Amino acid sequence: MMRFAARMAWRETRAAWRQFVGFFACVALGVAALASVGTLGANLQRTLGREAKSLLGGDVEVRSTRPIDHEIESDVSRLQAEGAVVTRVQEMVGMARSAADGRTLLVELKAVDARYPLYGVVDTMPAKPLESLLDDGGVIVEESLLSRLALGIGDRVEIGATAFTIRGIVRREPDRPASVVSLGPRILLSPASFARTGLVRVGSRLRHRVLLRLPESVGARPARDVLAAAASGVAVRVVTFDDAQPGLRRFFAQLTTYLGLVGLVSLLVGGIGVASAVSTFLRRRRNTIAVLKCLGADSRVLLLTYLLQTQVLGLLGSMTGAAMGVAVQPLLVRVLAGIVPFALGSRPEPATILRAVTMGVATTLLCALWPLLGIRDVRPSAILRSDVEPIPRRRPWLVIVPLGAGLAALAVWQAGSLVVGAIFVGACAAALALLAGLAYIVRRAARALRTVRGLEWRYGLANLHRPGGHTAVVIVALGVAMMLLEGVALLERSLSRQLDYEQRREAPSFFFIDLQPDQREAFADIVTRASGSAVQLTPLVRSRLAAVDGVPVTRDMVDRRRGGRHDDRTWYLTRDYVLTSAASPPANNVIVGGRWWTETEAAERPRISVEEDAAASLHVGVGSRLAFDVQGVVIEAEVMSIRRVDWQSFSTNFFVIFSQGALAGAPTTYVATARVPRSSENVLQDNVVAAFPNVTAIPVRDVLERLGAVLDQLALAIRVIALFSIAAGLVVMVGALTASRYQRLYESVILRTVGATRATVARTFAVEYGCLGAAAGLGGSVLAMLLAWIVLRFVLSVRWTFEPAALLLGVALTVLLALGVGFLATFRLLGARPLVVLRQE
Amino acid sequence: MIRVRDLVMRLPSGSRLLTVLDSVSIDVAPGEFVAITGPSGSGKSTLLGLVAGLDQPTAGTITVAGVEITGLAEDALTRFRRETIGYVFQSYHLIPTLTAAENVAVPLELDGIADARPRALALLGEVTLADRAGHYPVQLSGGEQQRVALARAVALGPRVLLADEPTGNLDSTTGAQIIDLLLKFRQERDSTLVLVTHDPALSHHADRVIMLRDGRVVSSGGPEMAPTPPRSQRPGEAVTLLDHRSPPHPPPPPGLGASRGTRDAPR
Repeated sequence: MMRFAARMAWRETRAAWRQFVGFFACVALGVAALASVGTLGANLQRTLGREAKSLLGGDVEVRSTRPIDHEIESDVSRLQAEGAVVTRVQEMVGMARSAADGRTLLVELKAVDARYPLYGVVDTMPAKPLESLLDDGGVIVEESLLSRLALGIGDRVEIGATAFTIRGIVRREPDRPASVVSLGPRILLSPASFARTGLVRVGSRLRHRVLLRLPESVGARPARDVLAAAASGVAVRVVTFDDAQPGLRRFFAQLTTYLGLVGLVSLLVGGIGVASAVSTFLRRRRNTIAVLKCLGADSRVLLLTYLLQTQVLGLLGSMTGAAMGVAVQPLLVRVLAGIVPFALGSRPEPATILRAVTMGVATTLLCALWPLLGIRDVRPSAILRSDVEPIPRRRPWLVIVPLGAGLAALAVWQAGSLVVGAIFVGACAAALALLAGLAYIVRRAARALRTVRGLEWRYGLANLHRPGGHTAVVIVALGVAMMLLEGVALLERSLSRQLDYEQRREAPSFFFIDLQPDQREAFADIVTRASGSAVQLTPLVRSRLAAVDGVPVTRDMVDRRRGGRHDDRTWYLTRDYVLTSAASPPANNVIVGGRWWTETEAAERPRISVEEDAAASLHVGVGSRLAFDVQGVVIEAEVMSIRRVDWQSFSTNFFVIFSQGALAGAPTTYVATARVPRSSENVLQDNVVAAFPNVTAIPVRDVLERLGAVLDQLALAIRVIALFSIAAGLVVMVGALTASRYQRLYESVILRTVGATRATVARTFAVEYGCLGAAAGLGGSVLAMLLAWIVLRFVLSVRWTFEPAALLLGVALTVLLALGVGFLATFRLLGARPLVVLRQE
Repeated sequence: MIRVRDLVMRLPSGSRLLTVLDSVSIDVAPGEFVAITGPSGSGKSTLLGLVAGLDQPTAGTITVAGVEITGLAEDALTRFRRETIGYVFQSYHLIPTLTAAENVAVPLELDGIADARPRALALLGEVTLADRAGHYPVQLSGGEQQRVALARAVALGPRVLLADEPTGNLDSTTGAQIIDLLLKFRQERDSTLVLVTHDPALSHHADRVIMLRDGRVVSSGGPEMAPTPPRSQRPGEAVTLLDHRSPPHPPPPPGLGASRGTRDAPR
């Protein structure tokens, strides 16, 4: 049986390979999308794994926003005595000022000692030892600083109260990639120089890091455990190289998961193409199957024959797709270069390729099997009469359910998570159902309009509801692809609008932070002169959460709450809290539980209002008690209200607000916002920094533009993968139109024989393709809006707005696409000579 | 060899059911050559298809070679066809994606015969098409296609050979050649032959002629019952029509494949 099936499969493919070009392309495009995303993910993982020590900067890192505890320092010293090499790093955001013309710029400062880096190298220009570049008041800076401050090597730059000489450019530092978005260019300087800046004051946002390179005799995890045990506060993070950069790892894992799902959509669109191509092929082979049954071939051997044929072609298509996916890798790497903060290779990963090929073959099997099972229904008597009814299938759900479950399993496998996979499957099923419903309506409407005036319209619409037509397949495949492409565009548009400074009238030009109490008046004068309005200063007190309802926040308590999971649940326990006090709730906050305090209540004892997500995560409500450690002094307060905060607003927002007077005496700094005309922004920033070198000015426009650039790159990456879906959708459409090629040819020559011109026939086709495009575009656009709404509303908590222009543009683009591809697939029919065609009948 | 009892076949025709065969009962003895004749729409081809197990009747029973095929499941019926029946169609029904040799080899391969290809080539030789073995059906004339179909039908030496108007699509000369081959194979393999035909000349060579009209058997008897063929259509005038009752017969005349009629042009 196997030999016969193999022979027949080969013979059928040999003679009818043209009919499988679309099938092949659909599988290849789907697998190409998956392989490209998979290879990208594998390269990211490999780089993160291989460079783990460099990315962390050591085997173990101790990190804190406060000076490192003595207990930890003594353990560090002990490890040093055992052979560990230690380096200390301090990082903070500050302002740099050109000594030549006073221009200022927000920068990320990093003070490193002579032993830095413990792993990897700092790539500098000139290529000299770091120590020699940084000694004696030298700094090295990122190249963008030079262009933005119009400085060169050898020029002087002021940081805080001191001027330094720029000795070179830092191109790459091994442990830079802490986050995808940086606030400003890097400046590397020595600890002595850093101390001379005078930036380290009460309330400064300084990060202390101790990095250790351990001797072989000391394992990283035991060392971490020792250091963690010595840490008094939960805010001290001690990590080893293999669990470093969790945020970055999570970001890339999520990025590749979502890109993978976009790729999976391509494969599913390809799957629709596979099912459509196999259905068409078998319709054409009905007679052959009937003859073979007459000659004694049973359904099993025939099913095996065509299954072998489709699987081998699926395998070849998958392998071609994998090669395409690898080939497109350099492009994807280039697209993501700006948000991947380390050199990323594009080497193919055998396991990833194998996985993509397996997905391709499995999808081919699942999508081809349903039409292939139709082989069983062909009666041998079909050879005698064309009107033979197929053998009715009994209990078709016995086949549909496992096939659907198989596709769902593939989705879960690709998503790497049952929940994400289930959401994806649900969304896909809903989208397919909606588009299939739309296709049904289009067919019914076309049938109802068959008496419409105008030959082109009548015949064009008739093509939409002809038996065995392609309306549903084209609308579903093209609609899904358009949904993806337009959905990404809509999301990008909504987020860009959020990040468009010019559209955010309420957004300040600057956040000024680290303002000291004695600088308030002079600062207010400068800002008021520039902005023309009074400046509002908000007091800030930096603190840590000390206890929740009397339970001290300790490392054990945090671990218990975490329950073995590595998620954000405990972030509210360990983070730094920036507190403020107020007599009334902030303007854009909504009280969702309890009430604001009265003056009398505020005078009685400390009261607080807590942001709703923080309250939920900390398991506190109205009446609960939270204690905060402010520079060693613990202040306990009763929760009087829960607030909803609009984090999208550009005002100064707080998780916890104390009642007025409760923070009196605590070390306080101030934050101020100011909006000035664009032309005055640089002047204001320069004036403030010149007058108060310790104050950091965060230019909102600049930060938003940086975020926008990251968003653009992410959207571009998604679009690259989504293009595979579009290509697969168009292949499905070409395949569907080609399937009815002979019928079209015959009808077109009949029309021409009875007097229709080529232009009339072309217009008939145009009506059909235009309607298909319009329906797919409409369905795809509506689904895209739905997708954008769900993501914006539930994932990003961003406001969604209806965009009729996007809807119309989506429909118009799909119509144009359908018309273009439709004519490319069928224009040759218009040139066929009627007599030649009719003679063949 | 073949026993048909009370056979009824109704087929949908628009919104109603059309009775194509109505209480048909016939018997065919082993080795017998029976011609089924009758006007168009009388149910001849349907009866032959049912005997071949290509379809299931509405009512009645069919027993072929001792097997009641009306009760068989689809797969068993398929095996039965492979092992017992050789079928020749009016419109050849070669598989367009296979060469002539591959078409003939299909039943042999399905039967698991190892040397299917040499045997297929030998069979093509018997129908004087050895030189066309590598050609696809579309490259063959109608007569050539029917000879390939004939070789395919007899490849496994079936006990029952069924032919549905095998010359219906051919000109008289080519048709006569096909009939010669059909009778030769039947004689060599000692098969029972049931043939549906409109051709009175062909009916005259049958042991028995069964006439159908409106789905009923209206007569059954010797070849003398068949109407006399018009003189101009007698195949014997074009080629030697083999007498199936007088073996051995001469080999087919040379140049059979060269003849071309208006319906016999390459397709």
